[in-house]
Amino acid sequence: MAKTVGETRPPVSSARAKTRARRRHADLQVAPPRPAPHVPTAAESEDGSEERSLLNWASDAVAQLLSGGFDGLAPGFLRDLEEEIARRIRRSPMEVNGYGYDPWGFHTEVARRALISSALMYRYWFRVETHGIENLPEGRILLISNHAGQIALDAAMIGVACILEAEPPRIVRGMGEYWLPTVPFINVIMVRTGSVVGTPKNATDLLHHGEAVIAFPEGVRGMNKSFSERYKLKEFGNGFMRLALQTNTPIVPIAVVGSEEQAPSLGNFKPLARLLAMPAFPLVLVPLPLPVKYRIYFGEPMEFKGNPNDEDAVIEAKVAQVKERIRGMLEEGLRRRRSVFF
Amino acid sequence: MERLLITGITGGQGRLVAKRVAGDYEIHGVDVGPWEGQPREVKLHQADLRSKRVEDVFRRERPAAVVHLGMVRHRFDPQLRHDVNVVGTKRLLEYCAAYGVKKLVILSSSYVYGALPENPFYMDEDTALNVSRHYPEIRDLAEVDTLATAFLWRYPDIATSILRPVSTLGYYTHSSIGAYLKLRYVPTILGFNPMMQFIHEEDMAEAIARTLETGVRGVFNVVGPGAVPLKVAIRETGGTAVPLLEMAARAAIRRLFRYGFYPLPADAINFAKYPCTIDGRRFREATAFQPLFTLEETLRSVRR
Repeated sequence: MAKTVGETRPPVSSARAKTRARRRHADLQVAPPRPAPHVPTAAESEDGSEERSLLNWASDAVAQLLSGGFDGLAPGFLRDLEEEIARRIRRSPMEVNGYGYDPWGFHTEVARRALISSALMYRYWFRVETHGIENLPEGRILLISNHAGQIALDAAMIGVACILEAEPPRIVRGMGEYWLPTVPFINVIMVRTGSVVGTPKNATDLLHHGEAVIAFPEGVRGMNKSFSERYKLKEFGNGFMRLALQTNTPIVPIAVVGSEEQAPSLGNFKPLARLLAMPAFPLVLVPLPLPVKYRIYFGEPMEFKGNPNDEDAVIEAKVAQVKERIRGMLEEGLRRRRSVFF
Repeated sequence: MERLLITGITGGQGRLVAKRVAGDYEIHGVDVGPWEGQPREVKLHQADLRSKRVEDVFRRERPAAVVHLGMVRHRFDPQLRHDVNVVGTKRLLEYCAAYGVKKLVILSSSYVYGALPENPFYMDEDTALNVSRHYPEIRDLAEVDTLATAFLWRYPDIATSILRPVSTLGYYTHSSIGAYLKLRYVPTILGFNPMMQFIHEEDMAEAIARTLETGVRGVFNVVGPGAVPLKVAIRETGGTAVPLLEMAARAAIRRLFRYGFYPLPADAINFAKYPCTIDGRRFREATAFQPLFTLEETLRSVRR
């Protein structure tokens, strides 16, 4: 065995080791841990006294741009919005360690910056109207929504709604695709803003911890459907219902009206999608999402009881109830809507 | 007093464990090297785990409990690692079965799960041991773990515990992660900053002692006070993170490692990209173990 290490070191005595342990503990209580760091991707310090390499600075700058930071240069309303988001995130129930990170890597400061662009979209582009958000119960919830619009802006809008409008504000935990952690920068932003890879273990852990988890049972099938199929719910997966039964979690059905018109698609160009190894390649007519008006309806929580390992037919019957509820809410929302844009 | 045999006793973790359990057991140690300033109450048998002399120690001393720490972890001669870790452990397990050992604690590592993009944040003990998929240099860890798990199920009368701790930091132990964090300029991968968990070496010694005291049986993840992103850990230990493009980092590190200028092989890069964070609930519930050191103290214990 090659245990050459430590041979020249003094022996540790048990009493000494323990005193040392206690002394260090005491030291730390005298000197409080430094406040939470501000940008996560950076080896940066508040006082700026620590040495920094050019590369560090560059990666900070990229991370800041990607996460939409507006330090100093921003007009007043932007800073007000940032301040409002920060205040509301602070009020949301969560548990962070001495460095400001929660057990899943969420970080208040980064989330605040990253959320600004979504919040701007929420307020000024989509002018989102939120109904029934007071239906959100406390503790663990599973948010189940329809999915549309070619890019997952509906998820972002629901996330912003739960921070800006819910009482108390809730951090919505997205369940990311398995390839997302391999994308540079995006993986860091995803984790810092509260999302995780969508594995069953992550979902059950988050729910046991009392978090709000969002799922889109239509998946990509719903998101990439063509304009002619708008507001027709695609087949729902069963996974979310098994998860809810297993963790005894109330389901909050959500209907998003408006997302279907943000990026009309003529259809799915499958050969190209296969070539690019993408789940779909929608033929979209617009370069940017259209400034449609979003209306988000939060339904009353639904409680389900039963064996999470029941056969598919039993689970599907329960899933159908949720689907029916969302369909009803969608129809109601569409009936009340006067215009796609206002 | 029961007799306890600690393999790899002169290593940092071995000394800490010996000191921690000194009053409760008659301690015998096995290691290749001598222990300068060896305390009187410890009896050291200088022998290689692969040699027959170790069997003689078992024959003569008949230890009731064994703590197996005698593994090479911070050296990357693959032949040596495999030989010492796998062959040494295999022999040791045979002796334990043959000479009536009642309690056995084997130190594995959380690295056996590997760092993969699809890893959930908190992997439990039933997760597959994926490390050899992307980091063949340390596949001996997974082999040792598998050997030990097979032993656990084969001998139901022996209270075998396999501990899989997170990255261990501290003054006395040498670990790969410690060597990495102690670099002046620490290479990281541009655009990645995984969450990492750490445990202080003295907390780890406490965890091993707790396992012996409670006599629990099974495979356990051992976690410390929590998780922080890699770059926060680098800042706290006093280094400067140098983000590199992955391709450049791989090419450079492969060469630097080959000529001995860098402590880790290029395949270790996955641990700087993806999380390998584990769920310590089972161990906490079985032994009521709570880490004493905070995250700040744990990280600053390797501050230069």
